Amino acid sequence: MIRLTWLQFRAQALTAAAALAAFAVLLAATGPHMASLYAASGIPGCQGASCENLATTYLQDLKADGDAWVYLISVASILLAPAVIGLFWGAPLIAHELETGTSALAWTQSITRTRWLAVKLTVGGLAAMAVTEGLSLMQAWWAAPIGRAVGYGGGGVVADGGTGSIFKMGRFSPLVFATHGITPLGYAAFAFTLGVTVGAVIGRTVPAMAVALAVFAVIQIAVPLWIRPHLFPARQTAFPVTSLESTSLTISTDNSSNSFVLGALNVPGQPGAWTLSSTTVNAAGQATSKAPAICVTPSVLNSDAGFAGCLASHGFREEISYQPASRYWAFQGAETAIYLALTLALAGYCFRRLNRRLS
Amino acid sequence: MSTAIEASGLGKQYRRTWALRDCALAIPEGHVTGLVGPNGAGKTTLLRLATGQLAPTRGTISVLGEPPAVSPAQLARVGFVAQDTPVYARMRVADHLRLGAWLNPGWDEELARRRTGQLGMDPRQRAGSLSGGQRAQLALTMALAKRPELLLLDEPLASLDPLARREFLRGLMEAVAEHGTSVVLSSHLVSDLERVCDYLIVLVASQVRVAGEVGALLASHRRLSGPRRDPGTLPAVQDVIEESHTDKQSTLLVRTGEPVHDPAWTITPVSLEELVLAYMNPANDIPARRPRLGVAS
Repeated sequence: MIRLTWLQFRAQALTAAAALAAFAVLLAATGPHMASLYAASGIPGCQGASCENLATTYLQDLKADGDAWVYLISVASILLAPAVIGLFWGAPLIAHELETGTSALAWTQSITRTRWLAVKLTVGGLAAMAVTEGLSLMQAWWAAPIGRAVGYGGGGVVADGGTGSIFKMGRFSPLVFATHGITPLGYAAFAFTLGVTVGAVIGRTVPAMAVALAVFAVIQIAVPLWIRPHLFPARQTAFPVTSLESTSLTISTDNSSNSFVLGALNVPGQPGAWTLSSTTVNAAGQATSKAPAICVTPSVLNSDAGFAGCLASHGFREEISYQPASRYWAFQGAETAIYLALTLALAGYCFRRLNRRLS
Repeated sequence: MSTAIEASGLGKQYRRTWALRDCALAIPEGHVTGLVGPNGAGKTTLLRLATGQLAPTRGTISVLGEPPAVSPAQLARVGFVAQDTPVYARMRVADHLRLGAWLNPGWDEELARRRTGQLGMDPRQRAGSLSGGQRAQLALTMALAKRPELLLLDEPLASLDPLARREFLRGLMEAVAEHGTSVVLSSHLVSDLERVCDYLIVLVASQVRVAGEVGALLASHRRLSGPRRDPGTLPAVQDVIEESHTDKQSTLLVRTGEPVHDPAWTITPVSLEELVLAYMNPANDIPARRPRLGVAS
């Protein structure tokens, strides 16, 4: 059965190998240049505040060289790989057999359908995981200098956006989280099995591809938005607005509304933490976006303490809900486990359907 | 005699419609059995149930004494050629034979090579580019080289031209003669069945209308024609299968275990085709069987 699976899977496997090779060539062509630029940037062995400037310069240089595009393409490839695999490997696996009637040939050989499906799912699932994780590991190797530069604060605090916002993304940002660590393994296994399951239910390849893609897309959007933040109870903290290391601040004084929007980018004392929500509360503890009129006078805005200092002196605090950086692997593990559990559930359903309810 | 396929109360429902309902039959081993019936009688559903590709909604079916597809050993005992003889279009002929060799412990490599050689198939040719006849032959070769005890064929002849049909049946009969394989062949081409089948089952709306060895069936049915007469006045041993009357004349197709002596009748034997058509006609009310003809339904 392994040999038959390989015979039927050969074309897809070669396509995947070609895609991996193309990806490797793209990264190998740009990676050494990035690494040598990093070595020459002065960041290694830098001291104190100079590091941040050097890192920012380095990232700006990368952007000028077009490496931001490579970064974007590589991240997109890792994100899309499970979906593509689910469509082109998963969906036809059973649907194509049913559609062309070859199931009558495949399932009347001297081998049970359970074994047939077990081998196909195992080989396809492991290959899907290997391809996606392969892309992820290659990209992680390639992007290592960027990660170090971002770690030194390069790009992160620059408000003009000149370094390219994609380099600001922390490990918890949706794009980075989903393309690194072990989560690509879970996505790949799940997307493949989802494709197989939808194919078995619908019985026709092209509609199965469309439905599988839609379902996978919805799940991949829903999980980071509504599920991932709540995998572990968030920590709460509150700080006077002046002690926030970096904030995004919009002040609007139109119509004398004195409204402002203050969002914490970093959690003080928690480098790399994942900020879930950040709310400004007044001295009474009520969420507000309205500043005291005194704080928006030109004299205050131009003073050393500035607007934030004025808010702080009026008892305004920032209440932050966050996940500490130390939980990164716990999050990776939990999310991967969820996807693998879903994968097993779908696989179990496929076995049952193939053995009992096939129509 | 042991049974190739035995079903009781067998039913398969698709959403609202029943493809097969309350079907009871027993097909004996050691025969080439023709399974005949109009479209929608449930022949394909029955064969798909018998190969375990479908699970029954109701009732039971056993094939060679075991539930279908229950184990690799049971699967190895049953060969199947599906309707339209599907093959993997993008795989080569040789790959199909390798597939068969990999998945079937009893694979007869010599038989597979000999048959494809005789048929003049290029092993490197992709199955998708074979003619309908060759594709059917490839599917038959795969089923035969598995060396099953029972071979089930679902309308394998439907899409073949007369020459390909003859070649296909010749290949089938050679294998049956060589290995003593039991065969169940569904078809609505009675003339083809006549050539190969020695056992016949007529299935109409999931029900067995008649079942028996072809020779015995032909021997026990007669066409009687003579002056117009009420069929109710016939001797009790004569069952009227079909009747037609004009003003003066009656023509009856009767089943009887005994010779007909009434001199008023002109007695002619019936052909298998006439017999099948008479039993397939839903207008004919088939009386309960009195003489036992092979395995009863």
